[in-house]
Amino acid sequence: MRENLTKEEESFLAKWLDGTISDLTLKELVSEQDFIDYKKIKNGLVLLDELNRPVASSFNAINDSISKKRNFKNTQASFKWGLSIAASILVVLGSYFAFSFEEITHETSYAEQKTISLPDGSEVVLNAKSAINFTKKNWPNNRIIQLKGEAFFKVKKGSTFSVQTPNGLVKVLGTQFNIKDTDTFFEVVCYEGKVSVTNNKNEHVLTTGNAIRKIDGKNSEKYDKEDSLPSWLNGESSFLSVPLKYVILELEKQYNIQIDARRIDDSIIFTGSFSNKDLKLALVSVFKTMDIKYSKEKNGILSLE
Amino acid sequence: MIKDLNNICNQKVFEKLFNIHAKDLRRFLFFKTRDIDLAEDILQDAFIKLWNNCNNVNPEKAKSFLFTVAKNMFFNYKKHEKVVMNHQKQTLKSSNYETPEYLLVEKEFLVKIEEAIATLPDKQKEVFLLSRMEKKKYKEIAELLGISVKAVEKRMHLALLKMKEKIGKV
Repeated sequence: MRENLTKEEESFLAKWLDGTISDLTLKELVSEQDFIDYKKIKNGLVLLDELNRPVASSFNAINDSISKKRNFKNTQASFKWGLSIAASILVVLGSYFAFSFEEITHETSYAEQKTISLPDGSEVVLNAKSAINFTKKNWPNNRIIQLKGEAFFKVKKGSTFSVQTPNGLVKVLGTQFNIKDTDTFFEVVCYEGKVSVTNNKNEHVLTTGNAIRKIDGKNSEKYDKEDSLPSWLNGESSFLSVPLKYVILELEKQYNIQIDARRIDDSIIFTGSFSNKDLKLALVSVFKTMDIKYSKEKNGILSLE
Repeated sequence: MIKDLNNICNQKVFEKLFNIHAKDLRRFLFFKTRDIDLAEDILQDAFIKLWNNCNNVNPEKAKSFLFTVAKNMFFNYKKHEKVVMNHQKQTLKSSNYETPEYLLVEKEFLVKIEEAIATLPDKQKEVFLLSRMEKKKYKEIAELLGISVKAVEKRMHLALLKMKEKIGKV
């Protein structure tokens, strides 16, 4: 009996630490000085708990502010650019690059946009699911960027600035431009200034408001564009007489969804735009107008009929 | 995402740096501010600043960048606080509520506690860490280790005795 009692007593500190017994009870069991010492240790342990709290929630908070800032920066930047543009172009085309390891690569994921500063102070805004890479070495003399996907460039005045895409080479002198690159779709829009586009050994010079594109291996066509900036900088994807399959591709990129278009004719021509921020609205504005029914399958794939 | 493993703009690199430095920075800031929430705010701002300068900061320099930025943010905060206090014509005794005791723990004392934990016998340390770090109840620890709750409590009790002995009079 006596042994049991001792054992019981021998765990009072454990019980006090987890709150089963109170400070008052502990005071009765130990000397005053001991009580002060234990209390100090407990305070230290509580502080340690606070300081060792998992940092994951802080990281999420940081990520939230970063993405908010990114959107804010984009709209701000585009406003500023509107005033200081020397020339701007939009280029669209696509296929993969073998990025070498010494080069610097920036990449965006689904539904992501990113603003990147280049070594000379030029800026690039990457649209969703796009990537650029360049070598920092020799940068001032050799301003060449490789692009996969779509991007808008604000170029500092200086030597030639070139963007190499699988479908063509775009050269600009002191300007801003935006390039998008997807397999069989290649488009360059010059928003301001002068741009040279070399594609299939043909050189085309674009001036303010001109655009050129090449879709599905057909002949390249020139047309005019009245916008002052690509619409995606303001959260919208817009299309002018483009086969529906490219609109679907862009939807997939902006929302990280999968769309099954096997049961529809995706070569029909689409003109219009969709929001990059509201999927429901985007689906309505693309498919309702085309009289296409869409439904979500169990596996998360959106199927069209 | 950026693939370059030597560039902080690569989200993986950024996250890794965060996981390495966040707790140290939080602790550093706590002992400067004596305010857990303020420490947390400055911690987040410092990492946001690191991200915004991700192209200009070498990953090896990230730690000194973070601590310098955090220190400056803290000074700016103090400066601002001073201005606010002057403006409100407040005297030094600005608060009439009691600071929780645990916030008054000295840095050196905290280090002593950590050292004391580190030198506990293995069996006690195991139970102690499961209880304090993993936040497990004595009953859960008992199930986990296949021993009785009483045994767990005994080890905890002994651990505290040992720690007090080790830390000595404070």
